[in-house]
Amino acid sequence: MTALAANAGPSRWWRSRTVRRFTSHHLALLGVAMITLLTLACVFGPHLLPYDSLYIDLRARFSPPLTGHHYLGTDPLGRDVAARLFMAGRTSLLVAFFAMLLSTLIGTLVGVIAGYRGGWIGAALMRTVDGFLSFPSIFLLLALAAALKPSPAMVTVIVAVTSWMEVARIVEAEVRSLREREFVLAGRMLGLSGTHIMFREILPNAMGPIIVASTLTVARAILMEAYISFLGYGIQPPLPSWGNMLEGAQQYLGSAPWLAIIPGAAITIAVTSFNFIGDGLRDALDVRDDHI
Amino acid sequence: MRGFLLNRLSQSLILLLIVSVIGFVVLNLLPGGPLAQFGLDPGMTQDDLDRLKEQLGLNRPLLMQYLDWAWRLLQGDWGHSFRDGAPVLAVIGRHVFATLLLMGTSTAIAIAIGTWIGIRGATHRYSLFDHIATVGAMVALSIPTFWFGLVGIYIFSLRLGWLPAGNMYTIGDGSVLNYLHHLILPSIVLSLVHVAIWSRYMRTATLDAISQDFVKTARAKGLSERRVIMKHVVGNALLPMITLAGVQLPSILTGALVTETVFTWPGMGRLFLDSLGYSDYPVVMGLLMFSAILVILGNLIADIAVAIVDPRIRLG
Amino acid sequence: MTERSNTKSTYSRRDALRLMAIGGAAGLIAPNLLGKPAFAQNPPASPTGRVIVGFSQEPTVFNPLMPHTECDDAVHFSVFDALVRMDSKGVLQPNLVVEVPSQKNGGISEDGLVWRVRLRDDVRWHDGQPFTAEDVKFTLELITNPKFRAWRTAGHSLVRDIKVISPTELTWRMEEAFAPYLSFLAETFMVPKHILEKEADPNTAAFNQAPVGTGAFKWAQRIAGDHIELVANTDYAGEGPYLERLVFKYIPDMTVLYTQFKSGDIDLVDQAFITADHYEEASKLPDRAVMLERGASVESIYLNLEKPQFKEPAVRQALYAAIDRKAILEGLYYGVHNPTETFMPQNSYYYNPNLPAQEFNIERARQILDEAGWVPGADGIRVKDGVRLSFANSTTSGNHLREQTQQFLQQTFAEIGVEMTISNLPAAVMWGDFWLKSQFESAISGVTNVIAGDPDVSNRLHTKAIVAKGGKGSNTGQYSNPEVDALLDKGTRTFDREERRAIYLRVQEIVRQDLPFLPLFAYANVFGRKEGLEGFEANSNARVASWHAAGWHWKG
Repeated sequence: MTALAANAGPSRWWRSRTVRRFTSHHLALLGVAMITLLTLACVFGPHLLPYDSLYIDLRARFSPPLTGHHYLGTDPLGRDVAARLFMAGRTSLLVAFFAMLLSTLIGTLVGVIAGYRGGWIGAALMRTVDGFLSFPSIFLLLALAAALKPSPAMVTVIVAVTSWMEVARIVEAEVRSLREREFVLAGRMLGLSGTHIMFREILPNAMGPIIVASTLTVARAILMEAYISFLGYGIQPPLPSWGNMLEGAQQYLGSAPWLAIIPGAAITIAVTSFNFIGDGLRDALDVRDDHI
Repeated sequence: MRGFLLNRLSQSLILLLIVSVIGFVVLNLLPGGPLAQFGLDPGMTQDDLDRLKEQLGLNRPLLMQYLDWAWRLLQGDWGHSFRDGAPVLAVIGRHVFATLLLMGTSTAIAIAIGTWIGIRGATHRYSLFDHIATVGAMVALSIPTFWFGLVGIYIFSLRLGWLPAGNMYTIGDGSVLNYLHHLILPSIVLSLVHVAIWSRYMRTATLDAISQDFVKTARAKGLSERRVIMKHVVGNALLPMITLAGVQLPSILTGALVTETVFTWPGMGRLFLDSLGYSDYPVVMGLLMFSAILVILGNLIADIAVAIVDPRIRLG
Repeated sequence: MTERSNTKSTYSRRDALRLMAIGGAAGLIAPNLLGKPAFAQNPPASPTGRVIVGFSQEPTVFNPLMPHTECDDAVHFSVFDALVRMDSKGVLQPNLVVEVPSQKNGGISEDGLVWRVRLRDDVRWHDGQPFTAEDVKFTLELITNPKFRAWRTAGHSLVRDIKVISPTELTWRMEEAFAPYLSFLAETFMVPKHILEKEADPNTAAFNQAPVGTGAFKWAQRIAGDHIELVANTDYAGEGPYLERLVFKYIPDMTVLYTQFKSGDIDLVDQAFITADHYEEASKLPDRAVMLERGASVESIYLNLEKPQFKEPAVRQALYAAIDRKAILEGLYYGVHNPTETFMPQNSYYYNPNLPAQEFNIERARQILDEAGWVPGADGIRVKDGVRLSFANSTTSGNHLREQTQQFLQQTFAEIGVEMTISNLPAAVMWGDFWLKSQFESAISGVTNVIAGDPDVSNRLHTKAIVAKGGKGSNTGQYSNPEVDALLDKGTRTFDREERRAIYLRVQEIVRQDLPFLPLFAYANVFGRKEGLEGFEANSNARVASWHAAGWHWKG
């Protein structure tokens, strides 16, 4: 955030242009609208529904959508799917958001250091990034989820640990290209410290790609949380998450398809929205289109 | 070129080393281990478990185990599966065909459909088709693969009964038709994301090519639009596509892992999950090395393709 | 309540049948009648047809002496023979022996230390070599060979001085009297000496991937990750086989397993059987025979008795009273499984039906805790002497029926001021040291306590079986009661069925009183097969449905 503030001074002109470009990107606006709506629903929805997300009622199990006040039906324990969906949204979105923050932090740190320092430090860091990228991401996710106790905080860490590499790569490339630019050379001649140059001079100028990448990371993080929770390794019941609502849904596909369809649709909507926003930001911030 | 290859080789070896170390450490970080599957066996005593642990060499220091494993690997010995005692390469080998079949089919689908959508989108820029394709690609990239598989099974297997819900073939019916029937749903699910990526990429590549001088020249010479596109644009965009294919190789493998789980496909993805579930370290390590080699190969293909298409980039 | 009385009447009817069977075993039934169930009337003259059996786990271990899990048993039972076989009524039958050794027939000495076994003389390995006493000696010695990665060695490690007297007779000495060993032999399959003795390393022998046995079916091929194919052994010494081909198909998803049974792709559902939620639908399918058979496993909440929360019997009693078993069984498990009060399989001869029945009573649970001095704290959770009545419950992650049970229990426990959190782990983590070395607080587990029908449960309940306290076994709840220990010790030294029965009935009484674990239900397995597949018999003393494929045939 300080980086953004630092940017505001000398380059106020692009801000308005950026905003203008972003607001003319219809899909991005749609994305923002959908995320806002989803967030509001997750914050206020549970208070408006007649059922608690944890209230078990075995007599009402497997009620299809629109049964009485169960607008989205009930699950195998007779809990209200709508209430769970919104509560799950809180978990999934929060986990994804903090995972994004953490992974952006790690990725930016690694990327800036590797890009600015270069040499063997840079090579070692970037080879480690390559190493992490060479794993099927599922492996790291599942192995870490099995090794650590899967509380929401841990799941956040696990998702972050397996998704910082993209950011690191982008930042490294950006910083490497900025390293020889005049303002950096000037800074060096003025005797500014490496840390100062790295984080106060170079980083603000690499903010565009980082913002785009972190938006896309939120999207990916939602998918990752969903997948490990779907396999039962992620967020533990009774706390609902979109992923663990899908757990076991395959078994009830024939008899209670809404258990699979509803949380999956929520995930798809959220992820699509973040991807739309990311796309809009990429256009608005003039970021090269080298990753989709 | 030779210097480039040597450089590449040494980099690849370092990468393999990093992957093997991280993989080994993470695997051994897991509590439990390969003998946990006998934890509920009423007849196996702690004595039996301790004895097996010793026989499998699992009570040695981690560094020793790693060095032993790495030394054997250098000599071409990938070790034996803890589960069935078969050599790791044989275990992996048995599952390669199923995965290749699935990956191959879905890649073919992705290339065919993705290329078509991409070119059509570029030549009919800002048309309704282009807009739908753009939005469609974004949505496709956002759908969780496993969930898309579930919905596919629900609609086409459970509701309509057109396609099988899983497996590679029906026992006793090894006909090509039967394989194809089983392939349809999983390969479509697996190709979804890649159709999206290919179509976006192809669109950009085609737009780039259209704006270039030689295409304008070809058009000026009076060649038909279709021929210009087919001959020059596609030809020109092909190498970048190979690059993309190279880079995509490992991600297709990961996608196959998820798809194979949902469709009970007997490939390497399932093997990976099963082996991870049993903590069958040698097989998991083997698969990790296998996928790392695939990543390296993919990147190599991509780099060579880039170098060929753009001679200004010096390999190295 | 009605269910309870049903259980009782079933018991007595079964008991009568069982008593008849035992009478028969003692005098009437001649050797080698195994595999001729009364309803297998018209098997074909030569092996015909094929049966495809579905499994939810892949059989991968084909050397029967190496560590393996349930599903592998199906291959072992079909390709190999053991000295004896445990039939569906819990009575040992001869398989490779001429008669089951006992103290009565002199096969086992009065002190239980010297065993003499006489073998059939007409058995051949699948490669044509004759099966002899040398093979038995080789097998028993291989199990205790320190270089060999053997499966279970309990019992085998007591065997000394194996002497081959003739090709059809051998003797050995036991280090101490150990009655369960006879049953253990039912799960000890004989391997060929002439093939394995040539191998430098039996752990990696080619035999392990293409086994040669004496059983009713010969190894044909394996498509890894998919299926295993066996063909009829036309020279089989015993009854059968009547099928030309036997296929074990691996279908890693339970729902798909059922779907394929429904669609007719598989003829019989084996481990882990048809899921409870499909039972009702399955039983109405045309041309399918679906049977509900009592299994050997018991689902319980295991409490780690060394945790301060669980030390007091009052807490365990209160928790037990707060379990709405009826709701769990009928609501979550579709009424398929049966309530039980003990660890002993309900089919067992040693099952104690006269234990006090659990009653769901929230008021009573609260009262027990109040009387014991557990007072609700500010957050509503009870506290006593600084110990909060709060604990984590763990089980295999991804087992959603158990997860549903956990969440249901969580709600009712909260009503009596007990906090239960859920902390599930992947199987490879859950059942490792976490379980074996008693690192859990409480766990839900479906456990088979008996081996091949033998009632000895020392491994689960004896003080010397607590690994966390330096013992050897899997008494993971750390239950310790000197009276039970003494009874269990006596039980392993006693060979007489009636005497043993009295011992284990008493053990069950004490354990029911102490409540070291809280029984939820005894598993019933839903077996499904195509109509017309005859000769099939369920056997809760074996871990697989395919324990006796030799007797199967298509109605012809």
